[in-house]
Amino acid sequence: MKCNKTLLKITPLVIACTLAVSGCSSTKVQRVDANQEVALSDKWNGKDSQLVAEAMINDMLSFPWVNDHLQKEGQRPAIIIQSVRNKSHQHIAVDTFLNDLKRSILRSGQADFVANKDVRREIRDERKDQELNSSLETQNEMGQEQGADYALSGTINSFVDEQGGSRVTFYQVDLRLIDMTTNREVWNGQKKIQKLQERSRFGF
Amino acid sequence: MQSSVISHFFLATSLVLLALLTGCQATPANKSAILLAQQGNFESAKQAIRSDYSATGKSKLLHYLELGMLNHLQGNYERSNELLAEAQEIIEAQYTVSVVESAVALVSGPTYTTYAGKVYHRPLINLYKALNYNALANRAGPNKQQFLDSAMVEMRQLDTYLANLKDKTGGYDRVSDTEPTSDDLTNQIYRMLQPVFAPNDLLVNIDYKDDAFAHYISGMLFERSHELDSARIQYQRAASAFENGFAEQYNLNNKKIIAQVYADLIRVMTEAGGYKSEIRKLNKKIGKTTRTEKKPILNVIQNVGIGPQRKEFNLLLKADHDAKALVMTPILWGTAKERKAQMRWFQMLFADTSIFDIVQNYAMGDIGDVAMGALTKRIPLGPLWDDAEDIGLIQALEYGSRISVTYLEPLQQQVKSAEVWVNGKKAAELDKIYSVSLLTLQDALRNANSEIQVALTREMIKAITAQKTINATGLDQSFAGFAKFATSVVNAVTASADLRQWQSLPAQINYVQLPLAKGTYEITLKTHLTTGRVIEQSEAVDVSDDITLWHTRTFLQQSRVTAPDSTFL
Repeated sequence: MKCNKTLLKITPLVIACTLAVSGCSSTKVQRVDANQEVALSDKWNGKDSQLVAEAMINDMLSFPWVNDHLQKEGQRPAIIIQSVRNKSHQHIAVDTFLNDLKRSILRSGQADFVANKDVRREIRDERKDQELNSSLETQNEMGQEQGADYALSGTINSFVDEQGGSRVTFYQVDLRLIDMTTNREVWNGQKKIQKLQERSRFGF
Repeated sequence: MQSSVISHFFLATSLVLLALLTGCQATPANKSAILLAQQGNFESAKQAIRSDYSATGKSKLLHYLELGMLNHLQGNYERSNELLAEAQEIIEAQYTVSVVESAVALVSGPTYTTYAGKVYHRPLINLYKALNYNALANRAGPNKQQFLDSAMVEMRQLDTYLANLKDKTGGYDRVSDTEPTSDDLTNQIYRMLQPVFAPNDLLVNIDYKDDAFAHYISGMLFERSHELDSARIQYQRAASAFENGFAEQYNLNNKKIIAQVYADLIRVMTEAGGYKSEIRKLNKKIGKTTRTEKKPILNVIQNVGIGPQRKEFNLLLKADHDAKALVMTPILWGTAKERKAQMRWFQMLFADTSIFDIVQNYAMGDIGDVAMGALTKRIPLGPLWDDAEDIGLIQALEYGSRISVTYLEPLQQQVKSAEVWVNGKKAAELDKIYSVSLLTLQDALRNANSEIQVALTREMIKAITAQKTINATGLDQSFAGFAKFATSVVNAVTASADLRQWQSLPAQINYVQLPLAKGTYEITLKTHLTTGRVIEQSEAVDVSDDITLWHTRTFLQQSRVTAPDSTFL
């Protein structure tokens, strides 16, 4: 009998609370610094991309191949990015990661980048167009491209371990740099990220 | 005498009202949408979904699932993936159960909860997204690798999900997650109902424990990208699942399918190298030496028909003072076919037809109704009757209470056989490899007991609460009959079963593998229906890779014979 009374009291309260909670929900947007990490889940995010790129390029440039190349060729090495394949369980914007890699290398000033196949094709089309339509003084000649000395490629892998509301996600990025003349692997880098996500089984 | 007449009048009126209410059921918008899509009216179908399932409401999951599937059928693969990704996010967010929502659902109904989908929906989302990515890869020409990588991302997510599923299900027992655990009154009622429905051991081996088909498709996609280790693992998992019960559970031609999966496994092992002893063992196991020559393979996947619809089925719950029992009687409504299906569902799952029920009723002194067992479900309360009176349950059920649960329309065998013809010559017959219909049916059967228990508990609480309100306001003195009748009607109006489901899924999936040399072929699917009608779909298929996967949807009432929604992968 007592519990029925309690139920009678509680039921309207629960309904009122629900209405109040649902009534309070609204969309709110605020600007945040692009360098600030906003981790809403354990997914690969912009900050991961940036941190991995910086760490790996620092490691790459600390290996002896840069100085060896400078001594031998007398100029900065030129690198081309072949492919970085996403073999993880998350959809990762590989292009964004590649851009972070390029920015880190260019910022170091120790190496140059050569445009990839698609961009080169577009530039060649543009040069052909210049031959027809641009003045002689402003035309760029064909056959003056700089060839790449090294090719950068790699993979992004991940492992997931999940139990109840806890999930550990482990990302591993492997990159390698190949000397395009000799096929020697002059650098091999690895960066790991581990994330723990915990979710509650019950909430409001 | 007069009160008896009034009582019968109220009862008759409430039955009419209940009948009217059940008659108000209309075809759900997502069923209408897929029927429109069947006729090629995709834009109207999408509009039907958008207008009935908002992107933010309790059924937002259906908004994304149905639109995702419609865009997939239309060939809008990128949009389909965006929508299915949203659906996946919603399902994952449902891991955290809202206690407020659950409390509201307990006193209002399951339709007040956010729809979380079924356990087999997540793998299907990953599968259809992977098929979309492969279609995009095919369109992308030389830049296809990024799309193939994305398809494999989906397969890895699928693998993680299935690994967790296997960890959870382990064996065949599963604890119901809908058992109320909160308030004392709820628990008291729940305990009364606990032992009276179909014993759990009558519904064994119907859990969704693993997905052999998903592993198999995953193996094909990994093999297509030359990820041979991953392909091998997926083929091994598929073979194991098919062999250990999946094929039997879903009524598949297990011998043929298992032999096929093992042949695929041997092929990737041979290509990868280093598996000589394993290959010997496998050849011995399947009783033949499998061809190991490398030849392009065309995998044909045919999605057939439309999955079965969930419908509402009503019962009237009353208290029988003489037998000290609660009595549930089905209220059959709809077409003759629907009424028959409702009766079968009731008899199959709830009616007192088992020896256990008959003995129980007899032992409780409920002899008069033993013979009526097939038409009613009796819940003898025995010593609990006094408790039921104390909490006001018996008084509250004076005019009956409507219990609403779901049933599944009977599965129909509409397809007799399906053939694949290559350049005008019959090449092979397709075999059923996946049955969404049986998945849906087994899920409905598995949940039937807990669903009716929760529905009964909810309606009893509503009835008791209303009764207490009448007592508290003093209406029971002056307008006793009318007030009770009115609350019965209000409760009947608010009682409703949760009929939500992903309706645009196919009823079943057929499959065949064809070894073909590289080139372009005219592929024709001939689907023979049990009515004698034959549906033909033709398309030019370019076999340019070692592994090619072609899938199509065959609607059984489609008005056209070509298949513009087919996809080369």
